[in-house]
Amino acid sequence: MLALREVQAAFRRAMLDGDDGALAALVAADGIAAAERLAVYRNNVQISLTDALRDTFPAVCRIVDERFFAYAAQIFLGRHPPTRACLAEYGAGFADFLAAFPPCRELVYLPDVARFEWLMNRAAHAADAEALAPSSLAGVAAADTPRLVFRLDPSLGFLASPWPVDRIWRVNRPGAQGDAAVDLAAGGVRLEVSRRGPDVVFRALDAASFAFRKAIAGGATLDGAFAAAVAAGEPFDLGAAVADLFRDGAIVAVTLAPEAVP
Amino acid sequence: MIMHDRDAAIAAAIGVGLRAPHVAEIIATRPALGWFEVHAENYMGGGPALAQLDAIRRDYPLSLHGVGLSLGTAEGIDDGHLRRLRSLVERTAPMLVSEHLSWSVSGGAYLNDLLPLPYTEETLEIVAGNVAQAQETLGRRLLVENPSSYLRFRHATIPEPEFLAALARRTGCGLLCDVNNIHVTCANLGGDGAAYLDALPAGAIGEIHLAGHASVVRGGKTLLIDDHGAPVAPAVWQLYRRALERCGVVPSLVEWDKALPPLAVLLREARAAADVARTLADADARAA
Repeated sequence: MLALREVQAAFRRAMLDGDDGALAALVAADGIAAAERLAVYRNNVQISLTDALRDTFPAVCRIVDERFFAYAAQIFLGRHPPTRACLAEYGAGFADFLAAFPPCRELVYLPDVARFEWLMNRAAHAADAEALAPSSLAGVAAADTPRLVFRLDPSLGFLASPWPVDRIWRVNRPGAQGDAAVDLAAGGVRLEVSRRGPDVVFRALDAASFAFRKAIAGGATLDGAFAAAVAAGEPFDLGAAVADLFRDGAIVAVTLAPEAVP
Repeated sequence: MIMHDRDAAIAAAIGVGLRAPHVAEIIATRPALGWFEVHAENYMGGGPALAQLDAIRRDYPLSLHGVGLSLGTAEGIDDGHLRRLRSLVERTAPMLVSEHLSWSVSGGAYLNDLLPLPYTEETLEIVAGNVAQAQETLGRRLLVENPSSYLRFRHATIPEPEFLAALARRTGCGLLCDVNNIHVTCANLGGDGAAYLDALPAGAIGEIHLAGHASVVRGGKTLLIDDHGAPVAPAVWQLYRRALERCGVVPSLVEWDKALPPLAVLLREARAAADVARTLADADARAA
């Protein structure tokens, strides 16, 4: 007799890989074949997880069509099943999977559309956080400002793409009508996604602001983020950029990085 | 006066499952219902979903129904998930917290279905340990629901209702008696729903679920599928009446997921559940 852990491992393989081998012998047939009984569970697993991915990536689904989406989702979920029970958190790796998935190699912009939808999904479900006022910097000595580290609202996300993904998304989002054309040669975008009240919103940023905010989101010090902004090669006003972050309600925690050892 | 109190108690006992497309209408119209039940995993982030739940909670008692804790998993329940559930319990102060006699996690993969367990002494040991851990962390009693089953393991040694009774005895957990699941399981595995129900310890039943199911034909035989996509079937209403006869009026919930109808249809089913409870109470009153 198999231990429960082994029964469950065999069941997992039957659900994800379609390999009933080890399991079928453990199932009482009772007039209906073991394979038919297991198929009920496999259907539930595959359909519910595919539905979860479709809910998170509706524009990707519209671009590739339902059938292809279900095919891609089935392969993805076999290789990368969820690791958590909150399905809104499932699909972090779907964009990278699509980027390496030979059948959609021609749809060069598709992985970035998926990344964009992932950021919007993350923003919709991100934890609520209290925004800080600029007065939270009142006690910081001028000499320490380069070491400031801002934690940003967890709904914020950043995506730079060589494709006009915002326009591609607009014409393929749920409820979009017709087949509006998008000029793929229109150039790339740098997008910031966030949640404002109950709504997920996005906007395009200039190169310097994008580099600055993305660096801060990645945990950089104010000095480090400033360097990233300057490296973007456009005029940049650090004071105004920090004030903008506060005005947007984007800063939820302020700390100081340890002083560098001279 | 006594009749009035009785009707109020029945009305307070009947709830429906809260589904996202109905939320705005419920907040706007505040239908006369005793309570709502939500799937805990839909509210573990922030944003508008959680804000709407707070709004519902201001007007109604709430029941948190988990679908992702995987009480039957042999590798131990996910402590991170359990802590997120605890946060939600602390935030919403629900009247009931429930989960399932099933598993969904193996090798770190979450399979998003209520998968069946072989009912053996080893399994009882594992589930009881997981239930005890959950109750300890949550600081409250958990109700454990009987699943709908499509298969039976050859090496199972304990009938499901006895397994649930033993689990309740060992851990002090309560039971969520899903009468639709009893009907579906008994139809699929061969068994008598009334006998199943009678084998459950009535005193442990803290909640009843009602829902509809579908049927498919496989190999010339019918399998019932617990899809929560139809009105409650007559045979399930009969089981509900029998359950109330055994345990009196307990919180009872109408669930609907697939092909979700307008809220009015759920409210109609909820009224039908209240009618069953009232008819029984009338019969009791006459007998007294």
